[in-house]
Amino acid sequence: MKSEKVLIIGGVAAGTKAAAKAKRENPDLKIVVLTKDRHVSYAGCGLPYYLGDVIKEEKELLVKMPEDFLIDYDIEVLTEMEALKIMPEEKTVAVKSLRTGDVQTFAYDKLVLAAGASPFVPPAPGKELGNIVTVRTVTEATAIKNLINTRGIKDAVVVGGGMIGLEVAENLTLKGINTTVVELAPHVLPPYDADVALYVQKYLAEKGIRVLTGTAVKAFEDNGQGDVGVVITEAGPLKADLAVLAVGVRPNVDLAKECGIALGATGAIAVNELMETNIKDIYAVGDCAENTNLITGRPVWYPMGSTANKTGRVAAINLAGTGHKDTMKGVLGTSILKLFELNMGKTGLSERDARALGYDVETVLVTTQDKAHYYPGSHLIVTKLIVDRKTHLVLGGQVYGEGVVDKPVDILVTAISFGATVEQLTKLDLAYAPPFSMAMSSTIVAAHVMINKLQGRFTGVSPLDLKEKMEAGAVLVDVRSDEEFFLRSIPGSINIPLRMLSERAGELDRSKEIIINCKLGLRSYMASLKLKRLGFEKVSILDGGLTAYPFETE
Amino acid sequence: MAEKHINARGLQCPGPIVQIFKEAQNCAAGDILCVEVTDQGFKKDIAAWCKKTKNELLSLEEEGGVIKARIKKG
Repeated sequence: MKSEKVLIIGGVAAGTKAAAKAKRENPDLKIVVLTKDRHVSYAGCGLPYYLGDVIKEEKELLVKMPEDFLIDYDIEVLTEMEALKIMPEEKTVAVKSLRTGDVQTFAYDKLVLAAGASPFVPPAPGKELGNIVTVRTVTEATAIKNLINTRGIKDAVVVGGGMIGLEVAENLTLKGINTTVVELAPHVLPPYDADVALYVQKYLAEKGIRVLTGTAVKAFEDNGQGDVGVVITEAGPLKADLAVLAVGVRPNVDLAKECGIALGATGAIAVNELMETNIKDIYAVGDCAENTNLITGRPVWYPMGSTANKTGRVAAINLAGTGHKDTMKGVLGTSILKLFELNMGKTGLSERDARALGYDVETVLVTTQDKAHYYPGSHLIVTKLIVDRKTHLVLGGQVYGEGVVDKPVDILVTAISFGATVEQLTKLDLAYAPPFSMAMSSTIVAAHVMINKLQGRFTGVSPLDLKEKMEAGAVLVDVRSDEEFFLRSIPGSINIPLRMLSERAGELDRSKEIIINCKLGLRSYMASLKLKRLGFEKVSILDGGLTAYPFETE
Repeated sequence: MAEKHINARGLQCPGPIVQIFKEAQNCAAGDILCVEVTDQGFKKDIAAWCKKTKNELLSLEEEGGVIKARIKKG
């Protein structure tokens, strides 16, 4: 095979994956990886846990050292090297050494752009003050960690309530820092639906994190020593000796744009299924490249470490010159995170996305156990399923709770990837024994509830619509036992335990909409069937029950 | 003063808290109730119950997914 020169710009996930895979495909390739940073191949997604001392030392985050690549793989990794300009006609790249300032020219036969993404810094006055940080690189994270451990940070403001922002907030809280999250969108975790995100917000509040949503940061004020002291927000000033900016990232595309590489609709580098850009022999992988949504076929940009590794591998196979080809068809926007003991994951379209795309959407919120309820260590989880009423295709799902959520999310990923209907979901031969699952797993139960809803066996009310319905005269009937009701209930609800419903149904006004609530949903469903048999016409169920209710209870 | 043990493992809906309500009615002030449950929601429930009923939660421990609570009847 030919001994071609492969130049890779970027050395975190996608770049190093492309390098290692290309070398395995074709050992004759001469591969050079250039990176601006001092570190390569580091666990970027682990940085929030490093701040919280879940990961103690910097070295634990470093997957491989630059010299390892030369020894183990015969790949040359050059750190603190900034690519300045690509010259596609000559197939060269001008590169500046950040250590010496010297500029050299590197020739390539194949070029891989794995330039990553950079944190967006909101243009608020005072943003250049000290102790205002972003968490993208190991160097940045180590600086923050030193600050926390040596200066005794008491109050922190995290700007941005996305995944990274919330993970950072969790870890700062675990370090005993009084933390406030400020999010511009109406709720945290903007890709999630509001019913799910508001549940997360309620949980964060219980853990002592203050969350301000729909709130912009206006300015940062000096503490008199050149460091931040106060963060001025639309909701007022917040004391802060540390401000973490986590408002999202933008793809690093300047280098590509300047040499004529086309960008896609999302602003990231446009690529085909082979990860090729519009310029011959130039590939783009990882966070700087655009993706395709598998469901809609539309361009999307989801900068995820999991996708970065796959795209790096695909490009490596295609450029190695072995004759083998691989393709990256698309992604579903899958994500997962843990905040304290709460786990949450999503895949596919959110309800909001699906509606905006014009789907005729049906949703359910189904509360179940993650494993056999009698097996020690079982927890409740909530599954939100999003289905197309016309085709019954599963469009998306969001699963959250203190139990296992990665498995149900991954089941949904698989189902959606292969075009499953909700009916097909109910018959999956999923692994079962009490320590792992329920005999009817959470996903299967959720699919059954969805089918019952699609067939009109019950009508659901979203917890988001409950208040408005009650103000319009609907009666919320809680059918749990009086002891459970005594402990916790939704304000304004009345209690008629399921066992007494037949004899006490006369207390209910048939002309009004009756919304039924219980802990999980099963008793509500049975109560709704009972009331319908008794001649009640306007009966519905609170989706997700009290467990998924995202607002205050009493 | 009596000490009473309750095995409420495996209970979910309506949950072990209902059993505690019933057992507590048969206890005298100062009696100790020891409960073992597997329902994770119990941790919140028992704290709320003790607060609302003026009983004292002496301890709440979890080991291998089993939650053990000791309550002193108020």
